[in-house]
Amino acid sequence: MIHYFNTLKVFTFVLHPWLVCKLTDMHPSILLNVCMCCFAGAGQDVGRSCILVSIGGKNIMLDCGMHMGYNDDRRFPDFSYITQNGRLTEFLDCVIISHFHLDHCGALPYMSEMVGYDGPIYMTHPTKAICPILLEDFRKITVDKKGETNFFTSQMIKDCMKKVVPLNLHQTVQVDEELEIKAYYAGHVLGAAMVQIKVGSESVVYTGDYNMTPDRHLGAAWIDKCRPDLLISESTYATTIRDSKRCRERDFLKKVHETVERGGKVLIPVFALGRAQELCILLETFWERMNLKAPIYFSTGLTEKANHYYKLFITWTNQKIRKTFVQRNMFEFKHIKAFDRSYADNPGPMVVFATPGMLHAGQSLLIFKKWAGNEKNMVIMPGYCVQGTVGHKILNGQKKLEMEGRATVIIGTLDVKLQVEYMSFSAHADAKGIMQLIRMAEPRNMLLVHGEAKKMEFLKDKIEQEFSISCYMPANGETTSIVTNPSVPVDISLNLLKREMALGGPLPDAKRPRTMHGTLIMKDNSLRLVSPEQALKELGLSEHQLRFTCRVQLHDPHSDNDTLGRIYTHLKSVLKTYSIQHVPDGTVIVESIVIKVTSSAEEPNLKVILLSWSYQDEELGSFLSTLLKKGLPS
Amino acid sequence: THIKICIYFNSGIRGICVAGYTGAKSEILELLLPLKLYAGENQGLCAERDFKVQHGGFSEEPVESLIHIPGTRCVVTTGSSSSALQIWDIGGDDSDVIKRTGVINLKSTPAKGITIAPGLTDEPAVLHGSCISEVQLTEIATGRVLYTVAKESSDSVSGLQFVNACVFLICVSNGTLLMGDIRDPSTCDYPLQDSKSGLHWSFGLRSDSSQSEPSCCTVARLSSSGHMLLYDLRDLQSPFCQTQLNVQQNTSKNDFLNVSWAPVLNRCLSVSGFDGTVHIYNTMDWSTEGQSPQPVFSHRGHEMSHEAKYSSSLPVVTTHFWHQSRPKTLLSAATDGSLHVWDWVDKIIDR
Repeated sequence: MIHYFNTLKVFTFVLHPWLVCKLTDMHPSILLNVCMCCFAGAGQDVGRSCILVSIGGKNIMLDCGMHMGYNDDRRFPDFSYITQNGRLTEFLDCVIISHFHLDHCGALPYMSEMVGYDGPIYMTHPTKAICPILLEDFRKITVDKKGETNFFTSQMIKDCMKKVVPLNLHQTVQVDEELEIKAYYAGHVLGAAMVQIKVGSESVVYTGDYNMTPDRHLGAAWIDKCRPDLLISESTYATTIRDSKRCRERDFLKKVHETVERGGKVLIPVFALGRAQELCILLETFWERMNLKAPIYFSTGLTEKANHYYKLFITWTNQKIRKTFVQRNMFEFKHIKAFDRSYADNPGPMVVFATPGMLHAGQSLLIFKKWAGNEKNMVIMPGYCVQGTVGHKILNGQKKLEMEGRATVIIGTLDVKLQVEYMSFSAHADAKGIMQLIRMAEPRNMLLVHGEAKKMEFLKDKIEQEFSISCYMPANGETTSIVTNPSVPVDISLNLLKREMALGGPLPDAKRPRTMHGTLIMKDNSLRLVSPEQALKELGLSEHQLRFTCRVQLHDPHSDNDTLGRIYTHLKSVLKTYSIQHVPDGTVIVESIVIKVTSSAEEPNLKVILLSWSYQDEELGSFLSTLLKKGLPS
Repeated sequence: THIKICIYFNSGIRGICVAGYTGAKSEILELLLPLKLYAGENQGLCAERDFKVQHGGFSEEPVESLIHIPGTRCVVTTGSSSSALQIWDIGGDDSDVIKRTGVINLKSTPAKGITIAPGLTDEPAVLHGSCISEVQLTEIATGRVLYTVAKESSDSVSGLQFVNACVFLICVSNGTLLMGDIRDPSTCDYPLQDSKSGLHWSFGLRSDSSQSEPSCCTVARLSSSGHMLLYDLRDLQSPFCQTQLNVQQNTSKNDFLNVSWAPVLNRCLSVSGFDGTVHIYNTMDWSTEGQSPQPVFSHRGHEMSHEAKYSSSLPVVTTHFWHQSRPKTLLSAATDGSLHVWDWVDKIIDR
């Protein structure tokens, strides 16, 4: 990885100040700036996101997720990629968290407090508000319920959140003098963001999880034509053609309706802030349309908390909700009421939303225990369940559960007779969505995470063909280097500009580079292009002229003048586009190259051809000497 | 340019092959049917409602028709402009790219689209032709022509299908049916009794198994004006039933005219291509005299879709297929690029 300013300074040492340099000699590859991505997590590994990017000398960590499938240290990202021992603070310029899902922020307190990081952690306001709740909830299951020891504490979560710097949408934040970041709306969940990271003229956009279709309470992801050098996108659903949302919802409503019609009870375990709002709005609309009477309940405390956060972050919801919020609170439902634990024993049909989402504790588990024995009832799991939770067990088809009382003493078994349904309502982009995002942002390179390489070759081909950009799919732990073409802004002196204009020819065009001559002066952090004379004047040096001479021996049985004439004719036939003159004083001039012929009196047929040229015509001069060494045609 | 989808159900494999194009590039996809279709009645453990793209590939030209060769991972396509059949290998587990493995070049560029059908012989072969005289059976691996029809006729072919490994049917767009046998170059012709000009005809064959004798097969002939004739394959001269379906003639796209017999249910057939619906009929109720039969079910999903509301023209169903084993499941595709998998309910019998 090379910092481009360093590279340019090296370049000036190579040049001698009195040599005129051609700007075109500065090949773009010298100004190479490599942008690297090193994966400590995602990269064909569905379950945890943690990406390291090096750009313009800055190191950024994107997301710090926990792998929900493992119970040991494999659930944390492998930070030894950054450093073998010690704290991460001096190796990272910042950490950015895209949204509050645990597979994106679950390892954050572990990273900042147990491994050690004191720098800034950036996330949006809603993410900052909701993250600690999820982290604490998760910590409780892992430590209190499962008795694990190598885990972060409640205090660590609090200390970690103190390092958070909140982001607003579309607002550029200067992390330091060179690094700036900007958040874009991602949809997916409340507060989810896509982030643009910029150093100088190079940028990377990381999408986190996003979706391109709006739903009932969130809008769709949006980004401007920022043309990043690299777009990093999740591709969990890239090889899926998603069923229409309407069908999915209809299926959900059908199941709920059927259960309620036959007098059964439906339990939907949810996390307070997530898909629950979406499902509530869906049920409310359906109940209203179908004029249904069965009661729907939302766990106590849940409504207030949810309302509080949605009200607080109203700008993060979609247009429709914002509009109706003024008249009435969108999250105050006509058909959905607050739940009281005694209602669980009421006869007759009902639908209950209760926390927590994985049936691992609390109210949802209590209700589940009461309703599990009746086959008329149903439980609908709307999301992923961690191993070890009741939710996970019943989704795996377990029909008998061991119920634990205090101190994990088993007090009995529970027969699971109710219907178990799993409906994923998560909002992710599919292949069509990914193509849409690429069209919006116009990146120069593409990188896909969260999928399997073997299963994504078709998508890679599709992207490469349609957009003519490279598409990368690194594995976990793999480093990808991407070459960028940074543009280097240079000030040009007016004199030099005028002189170039005076030369005539086509006007400068961004698409058609034209060779020009000048001297690049790099001082402090500024770059100036001036005429060679001015540069010499500024440096207090006098200009040297460089001329090369070369002698070529040739046998030619003619007079010196005739030999010269033959040389003239020969060159005229070979170099058709060059200016060649035969001057009467006995020289042939090709551009600025002077050719003379002499011979000695002793050997008049041994001609010595003298070639002389200035530095500018070096190439041509060398060519001519090689050509003449071959001899003249007869 | 509208999106056209060709579907062919991969027997034995839980997937379908789909080709569609927008603009220049055409894509061929092998899609796994959503797991939800395979979940039992009360088994609720399937979250998967989505089609999974198992393999995908690119075709330089728009794909007009697409068939799968049974017993192989091979798919054959025809394009609108070229005079060749493209052979593709869907691929295995090591890669998700569908690669073109070969071409069968035809003698000349046909004026109309080529109809293709899979051969049922042991060596994978494809029956193809744009007009009767061009119908031939070509071995895929070698390109060897195994059989050619000996009839000189430039009548255009609207349908081809093998009854068993040797016997096949050709349907001409004017309604004539020809029965051939690959062991004998001559064919038996069965023109329509009173053939009306300007109509386009399509046919559907029902056989009990791929190796069945002609005695167990029924044939349906359908015209673009809704005229339907049903035959026992042993007697293609006289239909055992004739009727007029109550449909609107769609003169613009004869290619979409499609009649299929249900593989599991008895005497049940489906019809599409007139508009955005697929109609299912129970032919047991049909009588030769009397009014048009009523469909037992009509799938209006493509007309009522979200996309249909916002487009200027209503979508037309381009093709439909019955699921091989689920008795009441069908797949259908329409000109707006939609793909539906649906079950139907007989309102009278089922509750």
